[in-house]
Amino acid sequence: MIAVSWAPKAVTVLALTGLAFGAGEMRKELHFKVGKRPMVSINNPYGPVVVKAGVPHQVVVSAILHSDKVELDQSSSRNRVDVISHLLPGSDQTTGVVEYEVQVPPEADLTVHSENGPIHIEKLQGDIATEGSDSSIEVLDCANGHVHVKTLNGPVNLSNVRNGHIEIVSMGGDVLLSGVDGPLVSVNSNSGKIQYAGNFGDEGEYDFTSHTGDIEAVAPAYASIDVMARSNQGRVENDFSLEPKHTPFYVKGANAFAGTHNKAASSVKLFSFSGRIQLKKRQN
Amino acid sequence: MNCLEFERILPEVLEGGHTTERQAHLNSCPACSTLLADLNDISVQAKTLADSAEPSPMLWNAIEAQLRSEGLIRRPTPPPAPWFRRWQTAWLVPVAAALAIMVGIKLYHPAGAGENEQPVRHIAVAPGETVRAVSSEDQQFLNTVATRRPARQAKYRADIDDANAFIHDAEQAVKSNPGDVYAQQMLINAYEQKQMLYDLAVDRSSLQ
Repeated sequence: MIAVSWAPKAVTVLALTGLAFGAGEMRKELHFKVGKRPMVSINNPYGPVVVKAGVPHQVVVSAILHSDKVELDQSSSRNRVDVISHLLPGSDQTTGVVEYEVQVPPEADLTVHSENGPIHIEKLQGDIATEGSDSSIEVLDCANGHVHVKTLNGPVNLSNVRNGHIEIVSMGGDVLLSGVDGPLVSVNSNSGKIQYAGNFGDEGEYDFTSHTGDIEAVAPAYASIDVMARSNQGRVENDFSLEPKHTPFYVKGANAFAGTHNKAASSVKLFSFSGRIQLKKRQN
Repeated sequence: MNCLEFERILPEVLEGGHTTERQAHLNSCPACSTLLADLNDISVQAKTLADSAEPSPMLWNAIEAQLRSEGLIRRPTPPPAPWFRRWQTAWLVPVAAALAIMVGIKLYHPAGAGENEQPVRHIAVAPGETVRAVSSEDQQFLNTVATRRPARQAKYRADIDDANAFIHDAEQAVKSNPGDVYAQQMLINAYEQKQMLYDLAVDRSSLQ
């Protein structure tokens, strides 16, 4: 009885597996032994890249190649692992897709490049450099490293990234920072919106600039900040009662506010040409 | 031998270190053979450049005077606030990199895989839409993208326009208020965006 009820499910699973891997897809798994704080680089023009913390001294790369128009090039030395999706003549955005799932030691330094596939990185403690064109870029639960992000039009989401040295450059992609702090948190956007939700901690320098994109920062009432904000053509709004301070940037016609709050431990600079700037007090 | 391995021994190959294995890879891989041919061309051109005369110091003085008269550079001022120090020296990096990239784009145009689309040389413009002028460097960049990544040409054009608009606004702000360090920083940021745009396009092109 049991065997009969499971049979159709087993057949379905086998059929789906066949569909998945019968149409030219190929799965590869690569294992690398590495030393302390290895450097891992994944270069994948088309397709998602997911990187998570694994065990020390081991890098595991699982890849699904969507066709024989793409192959994996790999190279490794004692402490460096490079994996590249090598597009062969005749490949395109469909046949060139490779899906990666990568496990690296938590302290690994990581470089990821993907043009349009989402990039997801979590629970790492090393330096992270990632870039993409339309890729969504997500960095979660990381700490103590440099996080450098370059994107043209993909959204960027950093969440719970602590004690980081963070630099983000974006053209049209929206940038969302939630629970992000460190000695330097810098976002340079063109038309993308910048949203920050956090406490401006670590006595850091928080520099958010845009050309036309709006900038919105939400911080708790206890935030200790020294703020300067200016939008040449957009509106500015501020919920905090700031102690006045000398500002060297009076510009006729521009909208601006500046001042300190609490002990002014962190520097916050919000600058835009025509985007709206809002500094909001968190309600809770 | 794959492309990655070939790139590692490329310096040896450039110095004439050919083996049967290397030649076999070159015969089977158009990307690597084009790359090698381009590098050989650059090497030949570089030798001719070395013979050219160094510009006169007077030329540099004239350029400096012109930049000062336009208010784009000034005499050294007292040290700024600590937060600004990082920004003030940083502008050299994107500008130098942007120049290097532009030269690179001019010199390096290999064909690559990953593009099945036919090259598109002209951008389609909707009726009534205005076309913003681009510099010759930008046009060269867009032509490269059109040849190698036609599907992305319109997007790159839009991004170039956005970056140039930012640069234009920031330049106007600096001219209006030459002492405004924040406007100067916005100009640096605008150039950083444009540098990124060039970087990403060139990086991707060389990858395929």
